[in-house]
Amino acid sequence: MSEPDLIARVLAGDRIAARELYDAHSPRVFRLAFRLTGDADLAREFTQDTFVRAFGQLARFRGDSALSTWLHRITVTVVANAMRKVKRFRERETDLEDVHPITSDGAGVDPVLRERLHRAIDGLSEIYRTTLIMHDLEGYTHTEIAEVLGVAEGTCKSRLSQARAQLRAALADLAPEFG
Amino acid sequence: MTDERFEELMRDAKKTYRTPPTADFDSMWKSIEGAYFGGAMGQSTAHHNERPRGLQHSAMRWVGLAATLVVGIGIGRMSLRLDHAAPTHPAATNVAVQPDAPKSDTAMARPYELETSQYLGQTAALLVSLPTEVKTPDAQFAARAADLLTRTRLLMDSPAASSPSMHSLLDDLELVLMQVVRLQGSSNRTDLELINRALEQRDVIPRLRTAAADISAN
Repeated sequence: MSEPDLIARVLAGDRIAARELYDAHSPRVFRLAFRLTGDADLAREFTQDTFVRAFGQLARFRGDSALSTWLHRITVTVVANAMRKVKRFRERETDLEDVHPITSDGAGVDPVLRERLHRAIDGLSEIYRTTLIMHDLEGYTHTEIAEVLGVAEGTCKSRLSQARAQLRAALADLAPEFG
Repeated sequence: MTDERFEELMRDAKKTYRTPPTADFDSMWKSIEGAYFGGAMGQSTAHHNERPRGLQHSAMRWVGLAATLVVGIGIGRMSLRLDHAAPTHPAATNVAVQPDAPKSDTAMARPYELETSQYLGQTAALLVSLPTEVKTPDAQFAARAADLLTRTRLLMDSPAASSPSMHSLLDDLELVLMQVVRLQGSSNRTDLELINRALEQRDVIPRLRTAAADISAN
């Protein structure tokens, strides 16, 4: 069954169709939410929020963009709004770092350099971090990111470039060639 | 060379930076289903996860709010008509749908006030009992917090939050309750201290009591 058909059935109250849409899109929504928050509980909560809101607003989905793009736009909005409050509350960025311990996967990279990079990503401003995570870590294209964030593709490329430049600068003392 | 090393680091980050864990998608679905579709299916799938219960409550709460609102408007309009019209007017049950029925802002606000008043009292009780000693709140405590968090969000989107002071209070409460919910299963002393500090710095509990008193006075 095509996605438009599934959407029509969800709007008619069909739970099975809703589950089908959820199954198709939830893994990527959860991945994105986790990458943006670094916290499994929050990612779960935001994934749920994303779908509850999406189903609630499904009648407004015009099909101008892919459903996945529309869903990811809701995810980014839900995460951004909630994380601003969490950060305001937590006061210290280091607390956020505590909830996503660095894994030991990826042998061959200096662990100190890796940790510094992770902290540098955490330290990016929201617009740069979101763009970098979506592009470099989650593999979204610039076109997709631009649609999700509601910006021009050129803006998206510029943000990625800025983000990478800031990461290089943050690593400069450990890896001078990055400076 | 430099670029290669940086690219190598970024490839590594793809595998090591906030690597998504496995997730229980069925559990999440049950919450979504309960919140969006409501009904027997959503309620019959009570789950170990407390947040989903909060979400399931949200749909019920909306229904409750809506029902309360409808009844409240009906009662308010009916009482106004009884004040101004002949006492033998037979259309008491129809006044709510009459377009020329007198409008009353207080009658509109009252159902929300009742709900808000109840919510504020329960939230104050929960926050006052928030353990000041470093210990992990139990599941029941977290479940109450999750329910209140859901109600906070619903009230934020309702006319109850139309005044700036109430909106600001609900905004702060959402933040605090979100952190309280997350305390479950955590032994992080810092989290608890931050919550207590935020409560003090933002005068949350005194503001809660003031807001509740204002509503009662109305």
